[in-house]
This record gives sequence, structure tokens and C-alpha cells, in this order.
Amino acid sequence: MKLLFLIFENIRRNLIRTTLTGLGTMMMVLVVTLVFTVLSALDRATTEKQTNLKAIVTEKWQIPSMMPYSYAKALSDGGANPDDPEATRPEDSMSWGFFVGSTEENPAKRSFENLFFAFIMEPEKARTMLDEVDMLSDEEAAPLLAAIQKMKDVPNGVIVGQERLEKMKKRVGDRITVFGRNYRDMDLELEIVGTFPKEPARYADSSVISRDYFNRQLDAYQRTHNNKPHPMAEKTLGLVWLRLKNRKAFNKVSEQILTSPSFTSPSVKIETSSTGIGGFLEAWRDVIWGMRTLMAPACMLVLSLVISNAISISVRERQMEFAVMKVLGFRPGQIEMIVLAEALIIGVSFGFLSAAMTYGVVNGYMGGLPFRIAFFPKFSVPTDALWWGPAMGALTALAGSYGPARSARHVKVSDVFARVT
Amino acid sequence: MPNPVCVDVRDVHKSFKRGIETVDVLNGLNLQVAENEFVSLMGPSGSGKTTLLNLIAGLDRPTSGEVIVQGERVSSMTETQLAAWRTRSVGFVFQFYNLLSVLTAYRNVELPLLLLPLSASERKKQVMTAMDIVGLTDRVNHRPGQLSGGQQQRVGIARAIVTDPALLVADEPTGALDAKSADDILDLLGELRKSLKKTIIIVTHDPRAAARADREIHLDKGQLVDAR
Repeated sequence: MKLLFLIFENIRRNLIRTTLTGLGTMMMVLVVTLVFTVLSALDRATTEKQTNLKAIVTEKWQIPSMMPYSYAKALSDGGANPDDPEATRPEDSMSWGFFVGSTEENPAKRSFENLFFAFIMEPEKARTMLDEVDMLSDEEAAPLLAAIQKMKDVPNGVIVGQERLEKMKKRVGDRITVFGRNYRDMDLELEIVGTFPKEPARYADSSVISRDYFNRQLDAYQRTHNNKPHPMAEKTLGLVWLRLKNRKAFNKVSEQILTSPSFTSPSVKIETSSTGIGGFLEAWRDVIWGMRTLMAPACMLVLSLVISNAISISVRERQMEFAVMKVLGFRPGQIEMIVLAEALIIGVSFGFLSAAMTYGVVNGYMGGLPFRIAFFPKFSVPTDALWWGPAMGALTALAGSYGPARSARHVKVSDVFARVT
Repeated sequence: MPNPVCVDVRDVHKSFKRGIETVDVLNGLNLQVAENEFVSLMGPSGSGKTTLLNLIAGLDRPTSGEVIVQGERVSSMTETQLAAWRTRSVGFVFQFYNLLSVLTAYRNVELPLLLLPLSASERKKQVMTAMDIVGLTDRVNHRPGQLSGGQQQRVGIARAIVTDPALLVADEPTGALDAKSADDILDLLGELRKSLKKTIIIVTHDPRAAARADREIHLDKGQLVDAR
């Protein structure tokens, strides 16, 4: 601690060099923070839980999964035999269908910007079953709760993610017409009743319409088309989410569903949500591997070299000073510690600055990192980044300054003064 | 009654390897310096003056022989022991001052005290005492770049005496100074010897500096030639 002033004076000695080293540190920490942001979110989504886990039931032999809606009730009960009191039932459930359309009537003008994607589901389940939304406090989820309440009075209501709302240039209360693409000739007249909260960012581009309302639209289609059902009428159920207490419950429910005669045409499969998400991410496997194994380590290696270069130059310039300090009685270990401490302070402080700025700008200003992987449109920088940054800075600083610090330690006093005199 | 021996150099040999060649710098050198004595080491370049000074100051170890300073066998100490010994026992004054340019005069003088178990107020007292002795109390907050050559050397001397070592060694202390500044420095060294009872050994080519010493020791080819 007594030598702290000396360390800080040495850091201030060449402000240009210190600043450039710091900026290099910030750039590398920024890149690695963004990489870790994506990887940590994907890891969280694909890590198998042992309790309070979610399972997904989908069609076994077809992608995309398109099951009849008649499966929904029984699957939501976990395939439990109604006459069996010992059967295991899920804690909660949610069914999903998907409506894809466009707010643009002219097919030639349809684009990603006017694309409309909605979950067809029970609105109240958005609060209790949607990943990450179910972790929000009531205060954080307030906009969603208000929207769900409104949908009880507005059957054709739609909850729209904030980013999609901005792209459509609409506000809550506006009405929109969505021209169906996966449900051809089915156009929905919807009223925007509310939005998702800003966090989590993954629903920023999504929407929710009521399952009851959608089923009524299918009935209306039939009435207006010579009593012929819509070609997709028996394929409106995409998947069913089940919340289960633990692995034991999952195994039991799996057995109930897979052995039930009710789900044979089409057949279904059940897997934990982490396994299911992992399956979706299979196409991105190489990218994820590259990010984790090549990109992040490469950045840290480059940063170590940058710091090593800067500290080496500094140590070379200060050989005489180190020799003088040894003459005065400083031990080699103390001189080594001074050099390491200088690098550590630069690494930790600029590392933290970079991580904090990344956190603030990406989360606060950008609303998440727009790097679409599967159904993750955006990634929020986790608060863990606030210690990743300084940790990365510290690690690379120590790695980069180890060689120069050893060199400083071994400055031979008699050799240095022999050159001078 | 003669003063006790402060520095005792016994049959010291020192060689250096320069590539594949071995250079013998000191050859069986013997020397004694009494306490409170002012000695100058003189000789042509390569005679071994600075090497001898480094051995006495504990900056290097002899290839063979012994160096005993104030009863302590300096030549047998480990590097850690030597470092601690130097802080307490030797003050070193350099030809080119060798102050740390990023530190003020105060911080430069304080540097050796940071290695001792002293509080901040104790360190301050010792620093100001040393600065007072060298006559620079009004320059404590100046950096070396803001001081003249003579003033920088005074700060160097203050740093050398701040831990109150018994022995002061100086390698060409006036080598980089003009005549007036050199005289001032030599006066100061004389004063330190007289009032603070320091033992002083200087390496010098300057006859005026040598003339201030009690004894001139000449070296040539690693051996004592004569002593005045």
C-alpha cells in the first residue's frame, strides 16, 4: 500500500501509452463480453435443470410440429388418466400455435419489417409460463399484466413486443389487419391492447393472440367457405409446455404421454425445454463452438500481447530506475510486484469501464444485442459482465506483464551502472 | 586512538564473463577504511574503482575473498539480506543523480524509508531533516526536471542519508556538475562527515574532490597502487 503512489505515478508517466493500452483493453473486453453474453444466455437455456423444469411436447416425426388442437387438453394434463388418482400432473402448462403473417396486403411489398409473428396461446399463460417472463416481479411485468387483463374484454386483442410495435409504427389502442401467410386466406383484425415489458428482450419482436379468438376465426372461415374447414384446422397446435416439479415428475409424465393411446396420430415426443432448445441450436453448433473456443481465447491472447508489449517497453525504459531501487534496498520481488500491480490496475480499471459501458449501452440504449440465433432475437448483457470485464482485464494483464515483470526483477545493478560509468 | 574499522576488504578477487572471455577486475585486493574516514578511490578507467565500490556497497559479490562492513560479512549475505542491509547501512550517491523523474524531491528522498517500519509522520520527519541538511526544504515539491544539476545531486545526497546509514559511497558525485556546484557538493559531504560522523568513500577522477579526502587510494589493474 505504501508503494501505491509510486505505482500510480508510473501509470501516469506516459499517459498516451497508458491510454492506448487501456483502449486496447476496452476493445477486447467489449468483444469478449458480447461473446460471453450470447454464450451464457445459450448455456442457461440449454442447461438441464433438476427441479422446476419445463418440458416441451411436440410432434415426433415432423418439423415444424403441427398437432391437432384436440391434443391440447390432454397434453396439458400431462397425459394423465382422469381415472387414475396417482397420475402425475404438471404444475402448469401452456399451448402454442404460431400465426405468421404480414401487415402489408400487397405480397410484392411484404418484407421482414412488416412481418407479423404471434403465439396463439392462452394469454394468462404468458405471465406464468413464458421463459424469463415468469421470473419477472409483478412490478416489472406490469405492462403485460395490464394487457392480459384487457384481453378479457377485447377478444381480438393482441399483445405486441415493443420493437415490433415501433417497426409497425403503431401504438397501444391501434387496430391492425394481419394477412395470414401460414394460414392462407385468414386475415385477422386485431386491436393492440398492450406490450411485453422491455426485458426480456427475446419477446421484443413477438406477439400473443388469444387461442379462443383464433379458434373462433377458424370456425368463421369454415362458415364462409362452404363449411369446409381451413386446410390447417387440424394442425394448429405447435407445442405444449409443461411445468414439472422435478426430474421424477418429468419421467412419470413422459411415460404417461408416450404410452397413452390418445397421441398416436400424429405421434408425439416429450423432452425437457433445455434439450429442445439445444436441438434448435444444433444448426448453430459450429458458430457457437467458434465463438467459445476460437474467438474469445483469441481476443484474450491478443490483449495479453498488447499489454505485454506496452509493459515491456515501459520496463526497458525504466531499467535504470529499477537498478536504483535495488540499490536503495528494494527486493527483486517488490520490483516485480510493482510492475505487475501497474498492469493489473490498468487491466482491471479499463476492463471494468468497458464492461460497464457495454452493459449500459447494449441493455439501456440498444435494448439488447441484436444477434439472432434461432428464436433468440436479442441478448441482454448479464450483470455478471460487471465482474467478467475486470476479471478478463486482470487475467490478461497478469499474463501479459509476467514476462516483463520477471525481467524487471532480474535487472542486475552492477551491469546497469557499469554501462553508465 | 585510531577509529575502529568500518570497511574491511580482504583478499578480494572479482571476475566478469564477457562472452567467452573472463576479465579479472580485482586481484587479491585488501583495504581497510576506518569509521568517520573520508577516502577517495582513484585510477584509470577499468582499474576496478566502481567494482570495488559496488562490492563495498553490497551491490555485487566478490568471486572470492571477503567484504566486511561494520562487522557484517556483506560478501556472504543472500540477495534479500543484502537488500535489507543496504537500506539501513549504506547511502549511495550516483554520478547522474538517478532520481525517479515521476516523483517529487520529497517522494524521492522518502523512497528508502518505505522499506522500513515507519509511520507516515516519522517518514516525514526524517525526510524534512535530510532536506534541511542539504538545504532544500523549499524544493520538496519540485520534480527533478524542475531542479538544477546541483540541486538534484543534493536531493540524491538527502536520499542517501535519510535512513542515517553509517557509510556513504559516492560514484563520481561531482562528475556531472559545474565547478561551483561541485564545490558545494564536496562541502556538503565534508559537513556530513564532520557533523554526522559518516564514513565516506568516493570514486572520482576529480583531483579537487580527491583533495578533500583524508586518504587517496589509487587502483590500477585491480590492485592498490599507493595510498596518500
